[in-house]
Amino acid sequence: MDIYHHLSSDFTSILITLKLAIITCFFLALIGTPLAYFLAFKSRKTKPFIETIVTLPLVLPPTVIGFYLIIFFNPETVFGKIFILLTGEQLIFSFYGLVLASIIYSMPFWVQPLQASFEKIGRDTIRTSLSLGAGSLGTFLHVIMPLCKKGFLTSFIISFAHTLGEFGIVLMVGGGIHGKTKVIAISIYDHVEQLSFGKAHILAGGMLILSFIILLTLFYFNKRTVVRIK
Amino acid sequence: MSNLSVLFKGKIGNLFLNFEHYFKNNGITILYGPNGSGKSTIISALGGFINGIETRIIFNGNELHDIDKYPPNKRPFGIMFQNPILFEHLSIEENLDFVIKRNQIKNQNKSSISKEYLIKHLELNSLLKRSPENLSGGEKLRVVLARTILKQPKYLLLDEPMSDLDIKYKAKLLVFLKNFNKKFKIPILYITHSIEEISQIGDQIILVKDGKKIASGAVSDILNTNSFGDLTGKFELSSVLDGIVLSNDHNLHITTLDLDGQKLIVPGLPGNFNDVVRVRIRSRDILLSSSRLETKITENELEGLISTIEIENNSAFSELVILLKNLKNNKNIQKLRARITTYNLKKMKLSKNDTVFIYISSVSIDRQAYQSI
Repeated sequence: MDIYHHLSSDFTSILITLKLAIITCFFLALIGTPLAYFLAFKSRKTKPFIETIVTLPLVLPPTVIGFYLIIFFNPETVFGKIFILLTGEQLIFSFYGLVLASIIYSMPFWVQPLQASFEKIGRDTIRTSLSLGAGSLGTFLHVIMPLCKKGFLTSFIISFAHTLGEFGIVLMVGGGIHGKTKVIAISIYDHVEQLSFGKAHILAGGMLILSFIILLTLFYFNKRTVVRIK
Repeated sequence: MSNLSVLFKGKIGNLFLNFEHYFKNNGITILYGPNGSGKSTIISALGGFINGIETRIIFNGNELHDIDKYPPNKRPFGIMFQNPILFEHLSIEENLDFVIKRNQIKNQNKSSISKEYLIKHLELNSLLKRSPENLSGGEKLRVVLARTILKQPKYLLLDEPMSDLDIKYKAKLLVFLKNFNKKFKIPILYITHSIEEISQIGDQIILVKDGKKIASGAVSDILNTNSFGDLTGKFELSSVLDGIVLSNDHNLHITTLDLDGQKLIVPGLPGNFNDVVRVRIRSRDILLSSSRLETKITENELEGLISTIEIENNSAFSELVILLKNLKNNKNIQKLRARITTYNLKKMKLSKNDTVFIYISSVSIDRQAYQSI
């Protein structure tokens, strides 16, 4: 095998990884933001239960989540059928299978910083805005969002970085198919298995530098915000 | 004349609220009661922030209690919450514009209160470009008040607005509120724990305890009744008298007031000639005598008629309500409440309708307890 082939193969993994991280963050924003809002302001009795579910991916081995995803999204089940209807493929070994797995796996990384940020601005701020004549949407767009800028940035950056670094769950659900579900973490694993340390170095070093820059950016802009991961 | 009829009934946390009241005046109504009695909850419920209790709000003939139909942002109230909040991502001016933008139609109305009026009277000019972060407590309060008023509310609800303000600025703001209320005829519901604030700006007062209304009425009447003292035990029984400034002595820093033809000398310079000034006198600072004293122990000698005597159970004291003699037209209307020992009362052989002479030391007259009205 010539070196160009390998380079382009690694390049494909990089593109897939970035695509995965971006799409995952998009869905996290869509699902995780209302969830964080709900946890911060609305729920009382249900809060511990929902918080537990959201936080579970932090403590469970990725293989457990992967295992249950495969079971629940088996093409024979209702969930599996819905998944096929939406994406045209079954969950296992598909890119959107990876997306779903990543959303679940990175959910606590989106929800927790944002929830903390919402809780910090507090109910009184929202009440004030409402009582001054702003509607619920106006309050969210013109008061909560700007006040929670740092929370959104933190959620985005660490969810993004976390998705980049996934290994267990993407291997379990995606299977590491080249050009489809093979992400950087799996490429590195493959290189090391084949004793191609040079290629592993390039990807691992790249990941290290990228993650370093991402986190540095976060902490630089967020000097006073503590990234709280339970 | 605006009228507001409310009923709130139901359990909220540990509180069982059962509050019903009919507000029918354009003045300032004080909501008074111990902590946890439900005062703030009443304001929250008016604002549409309390769910799951029986609620009735009828304001000038409109039913406002349906939260779906009248969510908090559609209600005609201007609310200042107990912890006033400025939006930190906006400058002071942007904070004011935030509410103007969202109430544009009302702000274009001719009778609306202008931003310029508020900037001038609340002295906000130097603050406009600043960020809320580094404002002092008093500055923040003025901005929040201006922002609340710029909503052009039909009713102003203020939850302990002055609690962390120094005395000097408090007096100024109280004057502003009183004038504002008179000028624009916008009624105010005002929560406070301060007897000074009550006696200075309150017209009506509602006493609440454990979520229930205990009493309500004119401030001067309620302040002169025992139930007020019983409610908290915190404040001493006192009376409120209205007088007109006769003369000011700028050297000695004293003012002579005309109380229905009688004279009262008070410390400080609470007003200019002919201003009406309200004075609060604590019941225990009053000395009584059944005859005019030959040797004057104080300049302040007033003449009155005993209207009621109430001997306290299991106590050494008695409460007397005295009607101040009106030397101008014989209509004795101002009431003074005195607290003396029952021993003294018996010794003087005082009874109802007797004439008494009242002696008050100028020193004991509360310095913050008067104001031009």
